Amino acid sequence: MEQQLEKVLNEIVTQQDTVGALLANRQGLCLGAKGNINPNVSGIGMAISEQVAKLEPNSSVPATICLYSGSKRCVIQKDGEITGIIYKQATTGSTAASN
Amino acid sequence: MSDDIKKYFNGLLHKVSGLYVIQITDRDGVPLLRVSHSQEKNVDFALMPSLIPTFTTASDQASKLGLGRNKTIISMYSNYQVVQMNKLPLILTFVGAEDCNTGHILALEHQVDGYLEDIKMAVTES
Repeated sequence: MEQQLEKVLNEIVTQQDTVGALLANRQGLCLGAKGNINPNVSGIGMAISEQVAKLEPNSSVPATICLYSGSKRCVIQKDGEITGIIYKQATTGSTAASN
Repeated sequence: MSDDIKKYFNGLLHKVSGLYVIQITDRDGVPLLRVSHSQEKNVDFALMPSLIPTFTTASDQASKLGLGRNKTIISMYSNYQVVQMNKLPLILTFVGAEDCNTGHILALEHQVDGYLEDIKMAVTES
Protein backbone atom coordinates (compact mmCIF):
# COMPACT_ATOMS: atom_id res chain seq x y z
CA MET A 1 0.00 0.00 0.00
CA GLU A 2 2.77 2.41 0.89
CA GLN A 3 5.16 1.22 -1.82
CA GLN A 4 5.01 4.58 -3.62
CA LEU A 5 5.77 6.37 -0.37
CA GLU A 6 8.72 4.08 0.32
CA LYS A 7 10.02 4.70 -3.20
CA VAL A 8 9.88 8.48 -2.77
CA LEU A 9 11.61 8.27 0.63
CA ASN A 10 14.31 6.01 -0.82
CA GLU A 11 14.89 8.52 -3.62
CA ILE A 12 15.20 11.37 -1.12
CA VAL A 13 17.67 9.66 1.19
CA THR A 14 19.95 8.71 -1.69
CA GLN A 15 20.45 12.41 -2.52
CA GLN A 16 23.77 13.94 -1.60
CA ASP A 17 24.24 15.04 2.05
CA THR A 18 20.83 13.66 3.05
CA VAL A 19 20.82 12.01 6.47
CA GLY A 20 17.14 11.14 6.82
CA ALA A 21 13.68 11.93 5.51
CA LEU A 22 10.18 11.72 6.86
CA LEU A 23 6.63 12.33 5.60
CA ALA A 24 3.79 13.42 7.86
CA ASN A 25 0.04 13.62 7.27
CA ARG A 26 -2.24 16.53 8.17
CA GLN A 27 -2.56 15.24 11.74
CA GLY A 28 1.19 15.43 12.19
CA LEU A 29 1.49 11.65 12.26
CA CYS A 30 4.45 10.00 10.59
CA LEU A 31 3.56 8.21 7.33
CA GLY A 32 7.05 6.92 6.74
CA ALA A 33 10.66 7.62 7.68
CA LYS A 34 13.97 6.60 6.16
CA GLY A 35 17.50 7.11 7.38
CA ASN A 36 18.62 8.73 10.58
CA ILE A 37 15.54 10.69 11.67
CA ASN A 38 13.27 10.33 14.70
CA PRO A 39 9.63 9.70 13.64
CA ASN A 40 8.53 11.77 16.67
CA VAL A 41 9.63 14.98 14.94
CA SER A 42 6.73 14.68 12.47
CA GLY A 43 4.33 16.56 14.77
CA ILE A 44 6.74 19.37 15.57
CA GLY A 45 7.86 19.70 11.94
CA MET A 46 4.25 19.96 10.87
CA ALA A 47 3.56 22.57 13.59
CA ILE A 48 6.53 24.64 12.37
CA SER A 49 5.32 24.49 8.76
CA GLU A 50 1.82 25.56 9.81
CA GLN A 51 3.16 28.55 11.72
CA VAL A 52 5.39 29.59 8.81
CA ALA A 53 2.46 29.29 6.36
CA LYS A 54 0.71 32.02 8.39
CA LEU A 55 3.43 34.50 7.36
CA GLU A 56 2.13 34.48 3.78
CA PRO A 57 -1.49 33.36 4.00
CA ASN A 58 -2.25 34.31 0.39
CA SER A 59 0.74 32.58 -1.14
CA SER A 60 -0.09 29.73 -3.49
CA VAL A 61 3.48 28.41 -3.42
CA PRO A 62 4.19 26.15 -0.43
CA ALA A 63 6.78 27.61 1.94
CA THR A 64 10.10 25.83 2.38
CA ILE A 65 11.72 26.17 5.79
CA CYS A 66 15.40 25.55 6.38
CA LEU A 67 16.70 25.30 9.93
CA TYR A 68 20.45 25.39 10.38
CA SER A 69 22.12 23.79 13.37
CA GLY A 70 25.74 23.00 14.15
CA SER A 71 26.19 19.89 12.05
CA LYS A 72 22.88 19.41 10.25
CA ARG A 73 20.17 21.35 8.53
CA CYS A 74 16.51 20.53 8.51
CA VAL A 75 14.39 21.30 5.45
CA ILE A 76 10.60 21.32 5.91
CA GLN A 77 8.02 21.74 3.18
CA LYS A 78 4.26 21.47 3.45
CA ASP A 79 2.39 20.73 0.27
CA GLY A 80 -1.33 20.19 0.70
CA GLU A 81 -1.94 17.45 3.20
CA ILE A 82 1.61 16.13 3.24
CA THR A 83 4.59 17.63 5.05
CA GLY A 84 8.10 16.52 4.18
CA ILE A 85 10.98 16.81 6.63
CA ILE A 86 14.54 16.20 5.45
CA TYR A 87 17.69 16.18 7.56
CA LYS A 88 20.82 17.09 5.66
CA GLN A 89 24.46 17.17 6.63
CA ALA A 90 25.61 20.79 6.77
CA THR A 91 28.21 21.17 4.04
CA THR A 92 30.97 23.75 4.44
CA GLY A 93 29.44 25.77 1.60
CA SER A 94 25.97 25.95 3.15
CA THR A 95 27.39 26.79 6.58
CA ALA A 96 29.36 29.67 5.09
CA ALA A 97 26.25 30.89 3.27
CA SER A 98 24.25 30.84 6.49
CA ASN A 99 26.89 32.90 8.27
CA MET B 1 6.14 23.66 43.15
CA SER B 2 2.54 23.05 42.12
CA ASP B 3 2.39 26.52 40.59
CA ASP B 4 5.50 25.77 38.54
CA ILE B 5 3.96 22.57 37.19
CA LYS B 6 0.69 24.31 36.38
CA LYS B 7 2.54 27.12 34.62
CA TYR B 8 4.54 24.59 32.60
CA PHE B 9 1.44 22.71 31.44
CA ASN B 10 -0.30 25.99 30.64
CA GLY B 11 2.67 26.85 28.43
CA LEU B 12 2.34 23.47 26.70
CA LEU B 13 -1.36 24.07 26.13
CA HIS B 14 -0.60 27.30 24.28
CA LYS B 15 2.19 25.72 22.21
CA VAL B 16 -0.12 23.24 20.50
CA SER B 17 -2.76 25.00 18.44
CA GLY B 18 -6.23 23.52 18.81
CA LEU B 19 -5.49 21.90 22.16
CA TYR B 20 -8.25 22.66 24.70
CA VAL B 21 -7.43 20.75 27.86
CA ILE B 22 -4.55 18.92 29.53
CA GLN B 23 -5.59 16.88 32.51
CA ILE B 24 -3.59 14.72 34.89
CA THR B 25 -5.50 12.23 36.99
CA ASP B 26 -4.79 9.07 38.90
CA ARG B 27 -5.98 5.75 37.44
CA ASP B 28 -9.40 6.09 39.09
CA GLY B 29 -10.01 9.47 37.49
CA VAL B 30 -9.30 11.65 40.52
CA PRO B 31 -8.16 14.96 39.01
CA LEU B 32 -4.71 16.10 40.13
CA LEU B 33 -4.10 18.92 37.66
CA ARG B 34 -6.12 20.48 34.88
CA VAL B 35 -5.26 23.33 32.56
CA SER B 36 -7.65 24.59 29.91
CA HIS B 37 -8.40 27.47 27.58
CA SER B 38 -11.09 29.36 29.43
CA GLN B 39 -12.56 30.91 26.26
CA GLU B 40 -12.54 27.70 24.25
CA LYS B 41 -15.33 25.21 23.66
CA ASN B 42 -17.04 23.53 26.53
CA VAL B 43 -14.99 20.42 27.14
CA ASP B 44 -16.41 19.42 30.50
CA PHE B 45 -16.84 15.90 29.19
CA ALA B 46 -13.14 15.47 30.00
CA LEU B 47 -14.18 15.61 33.65
CA MET B 48 -16.86 12.97 33.27
CA PRO B 49 -16.34 10.38 36.00
CA SER B 50 -16.54 7.51 33.48
CA LEU B 51 -13.88 8.77 31.05
CA ILE B 52 -10.71 7.81 32.90
CA PRO B 53 -11.80 4.42 34.30
CA THR B 54 -12.97 3.51 30.76
CA PHE B 55 -9.55 4.39 29.41
CA THR B 56 -7.84 2.42 32.16
CA THR B 57 -9.94 -0.65 31.30
CA ALA B 58 -9.36 -0.23 27.54
CA SER B 59 -5.63 0.22 28.10
CA ASP B 60 -5.46 -2.91 30.28
CA GLN B 61 -7.31 -4.90 27.63
CA ALA B 62 -5.12 -3.51 24.82
CA SER B 63 -2.06 -4.63 26.75
CA LYS B 64 -3.27 -8.22 26.34
CA LEU B 65 -3.02 -8.13 22.53
CA GLY B 66 0.53 -9.43 22.66
CA LEU B 67 2.05 -6.20 21.39
CA GLY B 68 3.50 -5.11 24.71
CA ARG B 69 2.16 -2.70 27.29
CA ASN B 70 -0.30 -0.17 25.89
CA LYS B 71 1.07 3.36 26.17
CA THR B 72 -1.37 5.66 24.37
CA ILE B 73 -4.93 5.61 23.08
CA ILE B 74 -6.02 8.22 20.53
CA SER B 75 -9.79 8.64 20.12
CA MET B 76 -11.07 10.67 17.18
CA TYR B 77 -14.58 12.11 17.34
CA SER B 78 -16.47 14.38 14.95
CA ASN B 79 -15.67 17.51 16.96
CA TYR B 80 -12.86 16.48 19.27
CA GLN B 81 -9.88 14.26 19.62
CA VAL B 82 -8.78 12.75 22.91
CA VAL B 83 -5.24 11.51 23.47
CA GLN B 84 -4.74 9.54 26.66
CA MET B 85 -1.37 8.38 27.93
CA ASN B 86 -0.79 5.59 30.36
CA LYS B 87 1.82 6.89 32.83
CA LEU B 88 0.80 4.76 35.78
CA PRO B 89 0.00 5.66 38.49
CA LEU B 90 -0.98 8.72 36.43
CA ILE B 91 -3.19 9.13 33.37
CA LEU B 92 -2.49 12.07 31.09
CA THR B 93 -5.45 13.25 29.00
CA PHE B 94 -5.29 15.76 26.15
CA VAL B 95 -8.48 17.05 24.55
CA GLY B 96 -8.20 19.00 21.31
CA ALA B 97 -10.03 19.99 18.16
CA GLU B 98 -10.58 17.27 15.56
CA ASP B 99 -7.92 18.87 13.30
CA CYS B 100 -5.41 19.42 16.12
CA ASN B 101 -1.84 18.23 15.50
CA THR B 102 -1.88 14.73 16.99
CA GLY B 103 1.81 14.19 16.26
CA HIS B 104 2.68 17.29 18.28
CA ILE B 105 0.65 16.05 21.25
CA LEU B 106 2.40 12.67 21.08
CA ALA B 107 5.79 14.42 20.95
CA LEU B 108 5.00 16.07 24.30
CA GLU B 109 5.13 12.67 26.00
CA HIS B 110 8.87 12.70 26.62
CA GLN B 111 8.96 16.40 27.48
CA VAL B 112 6.53 16.07 30.39
CA ASP B 113 8.19 13.04 31.99
CA GLY B 114 10.35 15.12 34.33
CA TYR B 115 7.38 17.07 35.66
CA LEU B 116 5.26 13.95 36.04
CA GLU B 117 7.87 12.40 38.32
CA ASP B 118 7.13 15.05 40.96
CA ILE B 119 3.40 14.39 40.79
CA LYS B 120 3.95 10.61 40.80
CA MET B 121 5.95 10.99 43.98
CA ALA B 122 3.09 12.88 45.62
CA VAL B 123 0.56 10.23 44.53
CA THR B 124 2.57 7.24 45.72
CA GLU B 125 3.35 8.90 49.06
CA SER B 126 -0.29 9.67 49.84
